[in-house]
Amino acid sequence: MTLAVSLEGIGKRYRISPTRSSLLRETLSFGKVKRSHDFWALQDINLEVQRGTTLGILGRNGAGKSTLLRIISGVLQPSTGTVEVNGRLTAIFGLGSGFNPEFTGRENAMLNGLILGIDRAEMLKRFDEIEAFADIGEFMDQPVRTYSSGMKSRLGFAVAVNVDPEVLVLDEALSAGDAAFKKKTLQRMYDLRESGTTILFVSHSMGMVKKFCTDAVLLHKGRLVTQGDPEEVADRYRELIERAQEKDGTAGGPDRGLDDMLEREEEEDLEGVGSRNGSARGTGEAEIEAVRVLDESGEPAGEVPSGGTVTVRVNARYSADLEESSLGITLRSKKAGVEVFSTDTGLEGVSLGPRRERERATADFTFGVPLQPGTYTVDAFVARQGDPYLGRTNGAASFKVTRAGSELSVGGLVHLPTKVEVHGPGGELESPGRPS
Amino acid sequence: MVLATHTSSAKRSFGGAFFDALGTFYQRRWLLKYFIQRQVTRSYRRSYLGFAWAILGPLVWVFFLTLIFSEIVGLRFREVEEDPNLNFGIFLYCGLLPFLAFSEALNKGINSIKGNAGLVQKVVFPLELLPFTNAIASMIDKFFGVGALLIVLLAFGRPLYWTVLALPLIVVIQVIFILGLTYLMAVLGTYLPDVAEIMRPVIRGMFFLTPIIWTPERLPEQLRWVVDYNPLAYVVNAYRDVILLGQLPGAQATLYFTLFSVALFVAAFALFVRLKPRFADLV
Repeated sequence: MTLAVSLEGIGKRYRISPTRSSLLRETLSFGKVKRSHDFWALQDINLEVQRGTTLGILGRNGAGKSTLLRIISGVLQPSTGTVEVNGRLTAIFGLGSGFNPEFTGRENAMLNGLILGIDRAEMLKRFDEIEAFADIGEFMDQPVRTYSSGMKSRLGFAVAVNVDPEVLVLDEALSAGDAAFKKKTLQRMYDLRESGTTILFVSHSMGMVKKFCTDAVLLHKGRLVTQGDPEEVADRYRELIERAQEKDGTAGGPDRGLDDMLEREEEEDLEGVGSRNGSARGTGEAEIEAVRVLDESGEPAGEVPSGGTVTVRVNARYSADLEESSLGITLRSKKAGVEVFSTDTGLEGVSLGPRRERERATADFTFGVPLQPGTYTVDAFVARQGDPYLGRTNGAASFKVTRAGSELSVGGLVHLPTKVEVHGPGGELESPGRPS
Repeated sequence: MVLATHTSSAKRSFGGAFFDALGTFYQRRWLLKYFIQRQVTRSYRRSYLGFAWAILGPLVWVFFLTLIFSEIVGLRFREVEEDPNLNFGIFLYCGLLPFLAFSEALNKGINSIKGNAGLVQKVVFPLELLPFTNAIASMIDKFFGVGALLIVLLAFGRPLYWTVLALPLIVVIQVIFILGLTYLMAVLGTYLPDVAEIMRPVIRGMFFLTPIIWTPERLPEQLRWVVDYNPLAYVVNAYRDVILLGQLPGAQATLYFTLFSVALFVAAFALFVRLKPRFADLV
């Protein structure tokens, strides 16, 4: 794999001096007077980011997250160390910051694109896409000073993500706009990720990092504390925050409730956007607790080669006594946006039998995936024959089908079992292999 | 694509960086065009007459200067027997144009980096475009000023000399001069915040040290150097020569001014390119 970003021994030093004039006195005294001191915003940062990675950067306020992103994108020069970036880089620090209020949205979008380094011809080509994404209607031709702040950030984001960067650097830009727009931006981020864009972004939202990132790093006081699996890094971050709260004497009590509330809100925002926790629906008589995708050896699987086998394990919990019910799954192709197939225990000839309230049921669905490479999502449900769903979740799990070896993948969504025979002009069967 | 591969710590030869920076003017020409357009039209955006003010503004001004000084005050700038209308108002305005270009170069140059903190700190952006935009936009503004002057000259029935055709050449050299000043001021203004305060009296002083409200002929012999070693005085005199007097500026003076302008530009631009990586820390 190739490196998208490589940092070696990065440090950033600022000089802190009480006043401007003390700095002058210091300079004039040739170092005899010392009133200022050095402050290292970043120190000893070594980091390699593979192409296609989505890297979340966590850390408390002032940990050096933004400084790091600015150094990577080339806005700031590091005091020590070297930065290497391969590929076209687009950085967004604050949306719509470069907008001029007197000019129309269209003019500003063009200007913004040109500032980001995109050709004029390319910008003209993408204009429809940008306009559709921003979705601000006739305001596109009005001066930006008439915009609401939400409209401004929508336009800013629309420009930034429609330029197809190879490396995208985001500084907390995702919190822009209302829930609907947030969903749209997230969907776009997923698309970018799928198309191989390397994404680096700063977030305070642990849920976001856990769900969206393939890698994460934790910065604390200018140093890189942990890096690796998002879950682990997010846990370290949580510890860090809890420790800080303990120091302030604000741990536990109502704060815990607040934390939970924040996290729940986050999850609601992310609902249904390729996330692992989907939305719960149905009559509520049963509930899907977990959906997991496992490989042949029973280990959680994120990627399956085309033509391989996966097992989807569904855990359900009943909230009422039921005489008869079935557990089912629906497989959807994310790229094509269609249902690939849907089945349940009843259709497969397996009976779940009567279940009591609070009882749990687990079903494994093992099936082959002769599918096109791409991402597939799984919905899971509990149903009673002919009745509405008792409980269901959408997009509760997902997995990626990868190309099997060097084989070319067939066209279409599914490779149906196929037998090929080649006949000569007289109808006789030719020997398999190369026709002579 | 411009940002195709960005390797911020690669050591490049300084000469290479200098010419790379010059090359960005061509690469980012569309951005430059929009920037300059934005700068020029900014103040007219919300008015009903729009861009017409670019020419109307100076026109009104030169009209009043002419009216007041020739018709009301009756101040004679110099005694020209055969041309009594050659009055103070027009002479003043013609000298003011290059002076305004000069003072704007200093004032806008100082702020060209600091005033664009959003671009400097938030976008990967070729900073050398910013002073350039300011200098060119200010020169375009003066272009309309010259247009207004020519209209007034025609309206007052004054002859138009063929030497006006030499004005574009003078303007080209003047642009190099203005660019040099702007880049120099951009660097100084970013590194030393006090420069803005220092420049205020300097600009005022230059107004009086340059033959704008007086003519060089009135200068006593021992003070001739005030005009001879003043590049701004050359531009002011050259403007008056070709527009009002129908004569070409001296060849030697033109050569000296050209050499001075080119040297100033190369030195200031080189300084700018060398120091620009630190600008984001300073604004």
